[in-house]
Amino acid sequence: MTAIAPSPSPASTAASHRTARGRWYLAAAGLAVVVTAYSLTVASVPLPFGDVVDALTGRADDALSRLIWDYQIPRIILCWAVGAGLGASGAVLQSVIRNPLASPDVLGVTRGAGVTALFVVLILPATPLSLLPVAALAGGVTVTVVVYTLAYRGGTTPIRLALVGVAASACCEAVIRFLLMRYPQNVNGSLIWLAGSFFGRTWQTVAITVPWVVVCLPVVVFLGRRLDVMGLGDPMAVGLGERAEGTRRLAIAVAVVLASGAVAAAGTLSFVSLIAPHIARRLIGGRMAALTPMAAAVGVLLTLGADTLGRGISPPLEIPAGLITAVIGAPYFLYLLMRTGR
Amino acid sequence: MTATLRRRHPARPWLAAAAGGLVLVIAAAVWHLTLGAVQVPAGEVISVLTGHASTPGEMIVADIRLPRVLVALAVGAALAAAGVVMQGVTGNPLAAPDLLGVTAGASFAVVLALTVVPRLAEVSTVALALCGAAAAGCAVLALAGRSKGSGLRENRLILGGVTVSALLLSLTQGLIIFHENNAESVVYWLVGGVNLSQWREAWTILPVALAGIAGCLAMASRLNVLALGEEMARSLGQRVALVRLCGAALVILISGACVAVAGPIGFVGLVVPHMARRLVGSDHVRLLPVSALFGGALLVLADAVSHFVNPPNEVPAGVVTALLGAPYFVWLARRDRKSA
Repeated sequence: MTAIAPSPSPASTAASHRTARGRWYLAAAGLAVVVTAYSLTVASVPLPFGDVVDALTGRADDALSRLIWDYQIPRIILCWAVGAGLGASGAVLQSVIRNPLASPDVLGVTRGAGVTALFVVLILPATPLSLLPVAALAGGVTVTVVVYTLAYRGGTTPIRLALVGVAASACCEAVIRFLLMRYPQNVNGSLIWLAGSFFGRTWQTVAITVPWVVVCLPVVVFLGRRLDVMGLGDPMAVGLGERAEGTRRLAIAVAVVLASGAVAAAGTLSFVSLIAPHIARRLIGGRMAALTPMAAAVGVLLTLGADTLGRGISPPLEIPAGLITAVIGAPYFLYLLMRTGR
Repeated sequence: MTATLRRRHPARPWLAAAAGGLVLVIAAAVWHLTLGAVQVPAGEVISVLTGHASTPGEMIVADIRLPRVLVALAVGAALAAAGVVMQGVTGNPLAAPDLLGVTAGASFAVVLALTVVPRLAEVSTVALALCGAAAAGCAVLALAGRSKGSGLRENRLILGGVTVSALLLSLTQGLIIFHENNAESVVYWLVGGVNLSQWREAWTILPVALAGIAGCLAMASRLNVLALGEEMARSLGQRVALVRLCGAALVILISGACVAVAGPIGFVGLVVPHMARRLVGSDHVRLLPVSALFGGALLVLADAVSHFVNPPNEVPAGVVTALLGAPYFVWLARRDRKSA
């Protein structure tokens, strides 16, 4: 944390902003590496760091390298993918909708994706796992469209959009409860999944999740500059040659895709996509081109941290990562709520 | 503008609505008593209700099904009355015990005691639930009061309440995962129902529910005055803060007791008052009894319908009320014109 507040001298402001941002990026990357390394050593039995290094370089015995390569590493990769996806998606939605309360979970995307994913898991168990993100996506998109339409009355306000989103979430929640009751064979698994957890994820889940994030994340980062232009207001953006409505729809679509992919992989990991952009904005300011990658990085840190904590607090019992993010995120949301709008 | 027309002639349908509610309650209860693993004909059910239980079917009805129906009736009626009072006291059409975190708080307190200090839970789940309900309700109201703008009427109150509920439910779930990996108990404390109720529960809830509803009825005319607006109420000589305090106490008493016997049952307190208001207008003297009748009928029906969700297993009625109530909440949230 070596960043120094930028000097107020106008001539050097731009340059010092840039170096300050660079430092924050470096700090986030360094922290992510440290947390990742620590996370590798946290399992149901603590693994000494030396053993982990041995396993990574191929010098450990079979059991240990199986543990590391088949359980720890896919989980951590998944944390990275899900956290980055959620953080970036929240940043984009907040910017496009110009609503500090917007995020996939507040708008109901998460629960909507949860409904369709659960529907597929419980009712059509023969469906190949690779279609799960597609199902989640269908639910996420549907709920987004419905919420936005319902909240739109010649424009939307932050609070109304959030309220309709919460109501839609409650509706999806009701359907989820119904499904759980109707098909109780797998209630425990479903409940843990709904709480948001990386328990038991394998390379297969990694293979179906990471591509979504790898494709969508660069698109969102690239869109950042155009979103900055739109931040000047629609007339100005159009005057500068930006197709405002098209860009807005593209951005929302990609954000929803990212969030739905994350839900399909890890369940409803609440509040990460809401608070990651806020933390990032505090650190490096509101310019989207710079903010989106930082929000993704904060999302990774939150997710990875929550998962590591969940494994480490009381082994061998695992606390779902979603419970930990909820405990951190809900008070933050309340704080935002008290400050927002009038 | 049918709404204004209806409000101009509120007097006509109210007796009809009350009578209809009463008939509905009785019909729902009788139908519910015939349902189950053994079908008991309605004639036998009625003979049980008039005090004769001789055949095995009649024994089943008297010993197993009747307490369950009574609990459903009491919980539904009390929650609906609490919803009316809460909406009246806050002036917020979306207010309801489950949306403001009160039920989630009660549920969390009970589970916390059950998992951490089991000896405390043996003493009285009702008292624990009351403490939890009070703490969560006060926290949400304090949050709303501290925010910018005019506090209670705002949707921010609802968003805050929903978030507190979500947090408390997460914590409840976490406690249960910590304690025992028993899906059935998770579901019971996250989605309430009356399917485990016996005479013990019935004797716990009936007096509280009756007292609570009576208290609500006693407040009806004061709520009418408060509905004119805080300023007006004050200039008419009402002690607004005292009325609000009494209302909050009643809501907490009712929701705490209901959670203690039936777990958190959602949306009854939100939906029923609105339906009743469409029928009889917003005069609380009429609204409260009609709401209570319809609330009782709704929960009995929901519990009856829940027999069909996953036969032969019985599922909590809270699932059915959530399925019915959540879309209604969406509709209300969209329609509400006081959106910030």
